[in-house]
Amino acid sequence: MKRILRRFSFWLLIGFILAGIWGPKCFKSSAETQVASPFSMPLWVKKDTSPTMSFALEPKREHVQFEWNWEAPPNITIWGTAKFEKETSASLILENPNGETILLAQNEGNTFLTVDVDGRDMSFKMGLGLSPFDDPMKELFPTKGRYTIKLWPPDLKIKSGAINIRIEGSRWGLLGTDQRGRDVFHLFLLGIRISLLVGISATLLATLLGVSVGLVAGYAGGLVDTVLMRIVDVLLAIPGLPILMVLAGIWGKGLWQLVVILSIFSWMGTARTIRSLTLSLRESTFVEGLRALGAKPSYIMFRHLLPESLPILLANIALGVPSAILAEAGLSFLGLSDPRIISWGRMLNEAHGFGAFTTGAWWLILPPGIGISLICLAFLDLGRTLEEMADPRLKGGANK
Amino acid sequence: MIKLIKNYWFRRIVGSLVVLLVVLILNFFLFRIMPGDPVSTIIDPHFSPQAKQHLRAQFGLDLPLYQQFYLYVKSLVTFNFGQSFLSQKPVWEELRTRIPNTVFLLGTAFMLSALLGIWLGVKAAQKRGSALEKVVLLAGSISFSFPSFFVQLVLLMIFGWAIPIFPIRGSLSVPPPSGMAALWDFLWHMTLPIFSLVLLGFGSWAIYVRNLMIKTFSEDYILLARAKGLPENKILWGHAFRASLPPIVTMFLLALPGILSGAVITETVFSLHGVGKFLLDSILGHDYPAAGAAFYLLAIITIICNLTADFAYGLVDPRIRLGRKME
Amino acid sequence: MREPFRKICLFAIAIFACLFCFPNIQSFGANNVVNLENIKGPKIKDLYMVIYRDPDSQILALETGKLDVLGDIIRPVDIKRLSSRDDILMTLSEGFHIFFLGFNLREYPWNDLALRKALSHAVPRKKFVRDLFAGYCLPIYTYLPPVSPYYEPDVTHYEYDPEKAKKILAKAGWKWSQGGLLIPPGSDKPLEKVSLLCPTAQAAPTTAELASRIAESFSSLGLPVELEMLDFSMMIKRLDKHDFDLFVMAWSLSRDPDNLFAFFHSSMDTEGGYNIQGLHDSEIDKVLEDLRWAPDKDSAVKAAKEAQEMLSDKAPWIPIYSRYMISAIRKDWKGLTFSKKTTADNIWSLLNMEPVNGKMRPLYWCLPEDPRTLNPLAAGSAYDWAVLGLIYESLIGTDPYTLDDIPQLALKWNIETETHGTKKLTKLVFHLREDVTWQDGALFTSEDVKETILFLKKHQLPRYFDQVNNVVSVETPNEHEVVVTLENTSYWYLHNIGGLPIFPAHILKNVENWKSWRPERQENPKDPKLTQLVGTGPFIFMEYKPGEYVHLKRYDGYWKNR
Repeated sequence: MKRILRRFSFWLLIGFILAGIWGPKCFKSSAETQVASPFSMPLWVKKDTSPTMSFALEPKREHVQFEWNWEAPPNITIWGTAKFEKETSASLILENPNGETILLAQNEGNTFLTVDVDGRDMSFKMGLGLSPFDDPMKELFPTKGRYTIKLWPPDLKIKSGAINIRIEGSRWGLLGTDQRGRDVFHLFLLGIRISLLVGISATLLATLLGVSVGLVAGYAGGLVDTVLMRIVDVLLAIPGLPILMVLAGIWGKGLWQLVVILSIFSWMGTARTIRSLTLSLRESTFVEGLRALGAKPSYIMFRHLLPESLPILLANIALGVPSAILAEAGLSFLGLSDPRIISWGRMLNEAHGFGAFTTGAWWLILPPGIGISLICLAFLDLGRTLEEMADPRLKGGANK
Repeated sequence: MIKLIKNYWFRRIVGSLVVLLVVLILNFFLFRIMPGDPVSTIIDPHFSPQAKQHLRAQFGLDLPLYQQFYLYVKSLVTFNFGQSFLSQKPVWEELRTRIPNTVFLLGTAFMLSALLGIWLGVKAAQKRGSALEKVVLLAGSISFSFPSFFVQLVLLMIFGWAIPIFPIRGSLSVPPPSGMAALWDFLWHMTLPIFSLVLLGFGSWAIYVRNLMIKTFSEDYILLARAKGLPENKILWGHAFRASLPPIVTMFLLALPGILSGAVITETVFSLHGVGKFLLDSILGHDYPAAGAAFYLLAIITIICNLTADFAYGLVDPRIRLGRKME
Repeated sequence: MREPFRKICLFAIAIFACLFCFPNIQSFGANNVVNLENIKGPKIKDLYMVIYRDPDSQILALETGKLDVLGDIIRPVDIKRLSSRDDILMTLSEGFHIFFLGFNLREYPWNDLALRKALSHAVPRKKFVRDLFAGYCLPIYTYLPPVSPYYEPDVTHYEYDPEKAKKILAKAGWKWSQGGLLIPPGSDKPLEKVSLLCPTAQAAPTTAELASRIAESFSSLGLPVELEMLDFSMMIKRLDKHDFDLFVMAWSLSRDPDNLFAFFHSSMDTEGGYNIQGLHDSEIDKVLEDLRWAPDKDSAVKAAKEAQEMLSDKAPWIPIYSRYMISAIRKDWKGLTFSKKTTADNIWSLLNMEPVNGKMRPLYWCLPEDPRTLNPLAAGSAYDWAVLGLIYESLIGTDPYTLDDIPQLALKWNIETETHGTKKLTKLVFHLREDVTWQDGALFTSEDVKETILFLKKHQLPRYFDQVNNVVSVETPNEHEVVVTLENTSYWYLHNIGGLPIFPAHILKNVENWKSWRPERQENPKDPKLTQLVGTGPFIFMEYKPGEYVHLKRYDGYWKNR
């Protein structure tokens, strides 16, 4: 036990588990909420890019002024309704440092002005005389300097309501945002849970199945053994991934279905190992002795054969988890998992599907990719330590 | 004694045939309990339900299930897999254009990663406690821990786009060169996919072989060989490695059928024309003849590998060879 | 400062007045108008349709010059990335795609009109388009996309307005429970959870997300919705059996609005029929019948207008968005044709394209999937026809600027209606071009048209079943005239027959089994260098390497080339 506690991987795993449990609770909002503009970079890179700014035109505040010292922002959104004292034709205007003005919205002789404009709207681009493929932000924010957003005519007074303006920044949080503007760090923390949950439960289930089948087949022998081993052969003869797809189609793609599906196709190896272990043990003298003493098969199996195979089993579990985690990631990558469940595989699938690789949005790719491999490495290391404990010959550097 | 062995192998082969039959039956029903059929996925306002009915009849989907099963078994036994629903081409022809790519890709990658892994594993086991062993262990773990598509996409971005020295799609240039150049062109296209698969695959081999070899090294006869003062290389390759070979061969044969799953993702990322993608598309499109044929061939390959693996194991462990005689 | 400002401001207001008063009138920049009559082509010698499946590699190939033409770009990041490049021309057109939510009108509460209207008001389409497509889609409120020649803008629009939705419900007697759940009029139990069917992310990554957002917006109105994600074919099976509450789906329509008949006529509410929602409305039925069997264009326009108005009032769907078609072409090519109705990757561009620097080289065109088959009698997928459409032609073509009919193999045509007792017949008379030859040298005559139609009819080819089903007879008064007689009267017959690809009679005669016919592998009887895959079109099929590319060559004897 002490050896395990000394392993760095063990503490890494504990860290992951704690982060998985407590991490997401530190966020007030749900992970699905859009927090910043899509593909925002992490806060700690390119510190000279623009921040997020929000203003509101309210009663007694008919214009706002701000300093702009950056490149054009990724997006601007303006929304809300302002009510006026009298019927008037009002418009909302942006004035740039060069003194040029751009009309953002207007009404047609009403007592109110309702605005719902987004820099991505096709109608907005058309209104500025741009093509659908131009970036309107370059038009709105051509230079650095003092910008004004105001209502026109200047004597207009807002009675009630407000017009909100939000200039999106291009940086957010620890790990930036994804294609929907969701916080990648939040998603990353949520992904830990799924990866661990799927990995561990699928492996445990598979091991349980494998051990039972292996013990029974190995000990009972005869017809039972033949039938069980033929079942193993059948399962081995069916290509895994396509069948997973078929099953996912029939059963649905929820988390537990995924766990069951993954474990159904990964217990055969354990079953074979345990069977052959049992086979050689049952011929050993001490088991033969027990049998001669009249011990029941179930007693022999659980009292002697199982403990005998326990160390190798534990190692098997630890080594099996990475396979399950990687299988989950692979299925998610092929789009075969429930998109509402946020896992690292899912994140990579979305990053790939929505073009993070070509955009160079590394903050969407590296965290889940490295996360998966770190968890896998930790389990592998743990597995190897357990293996070495079961079989001291394997211990590194013992020889010579 | 010979009779017994014969008997065991006879039973083993019969058992394999039973397995094959079960797989076939499973395949037949698996596709048919999956809701939907190849015609139902055609939704086109210009394709009336009446026209769909015609199409169903042409696919033989309106026949009773037992007749469909009869036709299915017949097609597999005669190796005349019929025509794909989706492409209307003979399934065999569809497979034939894809098999060379997949076999070359997976075969080469599998061989290379196994050879590299085995060599590294043996070396690591030989030099216990050295930096080499640590590097092999770490590299092996890392190789095993990364999701395949992640590694492949990153490689594609680096060597296909940032430093464009390798092609980003397919198995040949367009238009293709002729003569010897065509072969080089093919190899050039396959380099990146194969490299990525080797990178992903060698790790588990290296670790497996290292562990195996270490166990062998502690056996008495190796100690004896050492005591006799035999040259180290002879002990390593002539004794220890030879003793570890049967389990390695077994592992090799057992892992062989499983590599096709990896083909699906590799073929998707590198836009390769192969069996993996074909299988996926056939399943998604409910193309029963195509998917059935692919599954059938796979099952045969797997069963042959299993039998061979058993045989290889039987060579080393007489208890297995004698089967279940001590009852 | 004052005066110039006022001027700019007035100018800007003028633009914006246009924009906000008539939000449907949009122009996508200049059309590239090339006079179609003057096009002589094709100019390109070699055309390679290269198969790139992965969207990332498509983009990289286009940027590195391994691809020249990439159509149907969907991902906003790619659009953004490609439009920032100087060496790539992006074009955008409105499409015939329509994405909608359907109700199961056979069941309560979906047969309640007030509920449907309220839900129609509860969907923030504009926000969906911004968040999911970065603005590169058109929020729609009607039953035909605006690009359709029969589009009627003046119908009831259900703009996003949750307050109004609540008012509509309250007026119809709906109440809300303590927990904010909707209670139907005359009941005291809130509505139970309903399910919304949608395909999995694998089929369409954004659809699942869109569906979950729709479910969210319904839930906030008090209708608890659960998303049920299914494999596409499974979902279709459920829809076929009418086992659902709500579903989302997309149709790709054509320029003829007679699809509306298939979607909403009560006779189409059968298992597997396209009236999935199960609308039964005798008034709408009548109008749709008028549309389906309209004898001429005027009555078709009238019926289409009425049908759209009535459908909008009954709200059997919630139309949500329509995709724009976006394509990218490398600027090393000139002579492109495009408009707000057609992107630049079209047949007219292909006829006229040539390298800017004058040095001819092969053109690389992206094909996102392998063609499934090159047998035109069995081919159905869009990728099949991306290739076959360059080889075969039909009697009538489509104008890329107006989407009107223009002469292709037929120079002119007319429609006559005859009455035989109680039976009505439609006679289509096509006068064919006289200077057209098949790619193997044979002369194109009326016999080819006749043989094609009769072959399709006789063998009941599923793909063409509906198009030729009503054909009674085909006659050829002379070598360049075809008379096709059809049962009943319908304006759409012209497009049904005029849109058929025409196959060479001398090859069709030797086809024994249309299903297993492999024209691309059989030697042409007239020209041993060619295959049996020959048409009248601008390009000749040379080679298909599965998974890699399709090679086509210019047809020097093409009728537009002389």
